[in-house]
Amino acid sequence: MSDRSELISTGKPFSFDKKRDAAFEQLSKRYPTRESLILPALWLTQEQEGWVCQEAIAYIADRIGTFASKVYEAATFYTMYHLRPTGRYHICVCRTLSCWLRGKQEIVDYLRNELSLTPGMVSEDGRYSLEEVECLGHCGSAPVVQLNGEFHEDMDVEKLKALLASLQ
Amino acid sequence: MADMVKLFVNGVEVEVEAGKNLIDAIGAVGIEIPHLCYHPALGADGNCRMCLVGIEDGRPPLVPACKTPAMAGMKVLLDAEHIRKIQRDVMELELINHPTDCPVCDQAGECRLQDYYMSYDRRQSRMTVPQVVKGKKMAFGCGVVHDQERCVLCGRCVRFCRQITKTGELGIINRSDDARVNIFPGRPLHNRYALNVVDLCPVGAMTSADFRFQQRVWFLKKSPGVCHGCARGCSITVDHNREKEQEARIYRLRPRHNPLVNGYFICDSGRMSYKAEEEGRLNEARHGRLARSVDQALLAVAEDLAQGGKITFILSPDSSLEQMVTIRALAEKLGATLSGFSDGWIIPGDGDDFLIRDDKAANRAGLELLGIDCSRTGFTAAVEAADLVVNCNNDLGRSLSAEELGQLFQSRRLISFASHRREIDNQAEIVIPVASWSEYAGSVINCQGILQHFPRAVVRNQPPMELVELIARLGSPLQSEADCWQELARLPGLPADPATIPTEGLQLNDNEAAHDQP
Amino acid sequence: MEEVKILSAKFAIKDAHKLKVAKKHGAYATLDKLFAMAPVDVIDEVKRSGLRGRGGAGFPAGVKWGFLPKDTGKPVYLAVNSDESEPATFKDRYILVKDPHLLIEGIIICSYAIGSHDTYIYIRGEYTTQVKALQAAIDEAYKAGYLGDKVAGQDYRIDVTVHRGAGAYVCGEETALLESIEGKKGQPRAKPPFPAVAGLYGCPTIINNVQSIASLPYILDKGADAYRAYGTEKSSGTHLFGISGHVERPGMYELPLGLPLLEVIDTIAGGVWKGRKLKGVIPGGSSTPVLLPEEAKTVTLDYESMAAHKTMFGSGGIVVLDETVDIVALVKNLIDFYHHESCGQCTPCREGLGWMLKLIKKILRGEGSPADIDLLRELCDNIEMKTVCVLSAACTMPVRSYLDKFRPEFEAYVTKTNASPAGLQQE
Repeated sequence: MSDRSELISTGKPFSFDKKRDAAFEQLSKRYPTRESLILPALWLTQEQEGWVCQEAIAYIADRIGTFASKVYEAATFYTMYHLRPTGRYHICVCRTLSCWLRGKQEIVDYLRNELSLTPGMVSEDGRYSLEEVECLGHCGSAPVVQLNGEFHEDMDVEKLKALLASLQ
Repeated sequence: MADMVKLFVNGVEVEVEAGKNLIDAIGAVGIEIPHLCYHPALGADGNCRMCLVGIEDGRPPLVPACKTPAMAGMKVLLDAEHIRKIQRDVMELELINHPTDCPVCDQAGECRLQDYYMSYDRRQSRMTVPQVVKGKKMAFGCGVVHDQERCVLCGRCVRFCRQITKTGELGIINRSDDARVNIFPGRPLHNRYALNVVDLCPVGAMTSADFRFQQRVWFLKKSPGVCHGCARGCSITVDHNREKEQEARIYRLRPRHNPLVNGYFICDSGRMSYKAEEEGRLNEARHGRLARSVDQALLAVAEDLAQGGKITFILSPDSSLEQMVTIRALAEKLGATLSGFSDGWIIPGDGDDFLIRDDKAANRAGLELLGIDCSRTGFTAAVEAADLVVNCNNDLGRSLSAEELGQLFQSRRLISFASHRREIDNQAEIVIPVASWSEYAGSVINCQGILQHFPRAVVRNQPPMELVELIARLGSPLQSEADCWQELARLPGLPADPATIPTEGLQLNDNEAAHDQP
Repeated sequence: MEEVKILSAKFAIKDAHKLKVAKKHGAYATLDKLFAMAPVDVIDEVKRSGLRGRGGAGFPAGVKWGFLPKDTGKPVYLAVNSDESEPATFKDRYILVKDPHLLIEGIIICSYAIGSHDTYIYIRGEYTTQVKALQAAIDEAYKAGYLGDKVAGQDYRIDVTVHRGAGAYVCGEETALLESIEGKKGQPRAKPPFPAVAGLYGCPTIINNVQSIASLPYILDKGADAYRAYGTEKSSGTHLFGISGHVERPGMYELPLGLPLLEVIDTIAGGVWKGRKLKGVIPGGSSTPVLLPEEAKTVTLDYESMAAHKTMFGSGGIVVLDETVDIVALVKNLIDFYHHESCGQCTPCREGLGWMLKLIKKILRGEGSPADIDLLRELCDNIEMKTVCVLSAACTMPVRSYLDKFRPEFEAYVTKTNASPAGLQQE
């Protein structure tokens, strides 16, 4: 993995919106300890904001009643938490074994060369971000791409072009 | 007495404490099992893998010694080639991303990696690819400076802040070889024991901003001492040195393991209290406005005492038992009154449930044991009735305002024996500098009723006179340390010879000495 | 040779993930029988079935349940391992999406057998759509009274909570999974204590893979003997095999254990794609040592045959490598994965995998020397089994197999006879 220690501060206080607040309270009944809420709370944050800022980590720690260092640990350990904003379309290309064997590199190269996307970066217009991720569990339909969480299987450059063209 | 069991280490039978983990059990009989992450105060974590040992006929064949309790008949393998190889291999892996900047590292000389490299590795580096780059010189708060590259991720500092101080400022973030210790932004170390992470760190990853680059540790003389920062009286090591043609200097205080008193730790204010031994010291004797030699000033004091009249001696709750008893003896001889008034040394609510006590005096229990009145009323009455007051290094400014002190001593003669410059002493006719706790040997009783004796640590170029000697020269019947102890031994539970006091101290049976309030 | 449909019986049925449809096809039909049995009899039946944990280690499920201490006064937890993150493994996903009620029914059976009332399903974070499907099914099951205070009208409470991971392979290790449910980093715990004694929240805990749990309704319904009719003596039943890589028809196939590996590749998966030759087979997920075509000839798909060929059944994720595969680049891909996923806890794995990655990259760049290959090989030995969990071994075991079986390919890189920049492109 790469270093994820640098957090982004928005300078604004964070709190759950009504929907996430209710979800958080519901979840708190499902676990015997408050700390079990760390992962779910980070997910709720990401669902709400699209990413997890420094203020959100502090908020979660205080809301749960645990050390900020523990939430910070979880947020940096689990790589699916976005610690910076993603593009409007976040493209994850699986880079692991079966997808690698079946041509994931062509897809990555297309995105790099044709769309000038760099893994880990957001395009200048904020439209796309690219991430090469580890195994997505769709090896039988490799290579696989996840676009904003939706799976697209048996991909190739042509299908990718069509997919990107279908986006508004 | 703990249950003992016999087991075999490298085929040799040893008797060890049952149930203890192998590192501690076997370590107690002098056999080292290398380890980085395990610390007796923080428990076993098992992440460093340096303590893997073989258990013959056992399953699994390799176990972490830190997590394996000693059991009868166990056959522990430490020197087998495959175990030595593991130790070498783990050391190699500990070192591949280590900067090996020992020449500029404060830990050099007391570094586990250095020591273990010599004991278990001693090979050329095979690292031909770039090292992982991490953060340097990170200010973690409370005077702790962190170097992520030197860190071996043992997690002792993290566990200390979570388990001991329960403040949890530190965490190990990221994973893989990108893992590193960090604080959450804006929430730095904020606890009164933070500098213990510097001692806990087995390598040079945690350093003290105060001590950094001040002295190579191998130049330091290490003297056992007792912290005088509060009534806990933590066992410490006074690290000091006199550089060529310089004044002797204390560079740092460190906790000295004492299971009865402070375990492995001390508080930060105690640790930094060495600065008071170096700063604000009273260096010159004076009589009236004139500087005098100590001998001259002492002669003047002796004359004053011989004049008769009502005399009151004020004792300090920080003084040693020896000092107290010799002053008491002189006072009795002169028919003088005694007061140990020091209310201001007690800061209600400042203590905690770990080490720090409300009472900032190191030996209040000693005053009580010697039956010396500490009440404010007793103090006021004694001072008001006195023609001459002799203050034996009690910082009265802690207990009374300058105004109160001014009024009290306006029309009263005051003689001060003081280790530090204090405002009250401006009112004294005669002032004589005396040694502070790091400069004399003595004994104190802590808040738990534990008697500890400490030797003289620092010898200044011009050593200030020790109170016991000074009082002896003024005619105390107790003329030596031995005399003091002959007198002290008459008290219940006290030995006749301080040399017989164990290093961890002696729990006095006299429960009155123990006032275990926070 | 053809597929069997035990676990996948409802996969082809439209909308079988919906309770109404699933019920029509037999979902929850075993519950009457279940609650009429004593829990110990359920355990015995599962023991007799020979069902082995389908997560990769292959430990007999019923035996594992038997490790639970009796009457501790503490709750017993069931944790369902749906992390399936071993590269080339994609079987549980089908159950989650196509027949989630089969899993829930299995959870009820297991819970009753082990005396548990609280289940946590740990599902990998990447399974975005799958988690929705699973949660929808759980919600339906609650509504229909299959979960909640009175399961199927019985005086037995079962609550099921889905706990979502967030991108960490290591959480498939059972104690890392527990740590993750507890809100911590997924760092495996030292054993002992074993989870059956002190697991989730310090309480007795059984952790089973999705496929293992989903096998329970069939065993209970048809009996252990019917289950044992499939597979081999020691590797009974069926398995959801995932076949990926260079084959004509990659995908998930339910097969009895014990079938010949190459025959399965040829007949079920259509053989090596594009008419190419076979270079090697990874038999059970990326962490299992590779088999050369020669070796693969005699391998059957069961735990014993794999062990006899010095590899492992693993998760049943078969990867076929055709003749064009650059083994050195493949090894870099593998080390990259395991390095990325190392939890960072134990020194050998944390530091060692990073070193191995840098070495293989150096070799790929054509900057390596024969000594680097030797060092890489030596590091496999130095790191393996020196750690709390087996993640490092999951990397070193296969890497060692490639180094030993394809050594000339590595040598070609360091003697510069192989100018292929294949590896370089991927950095």
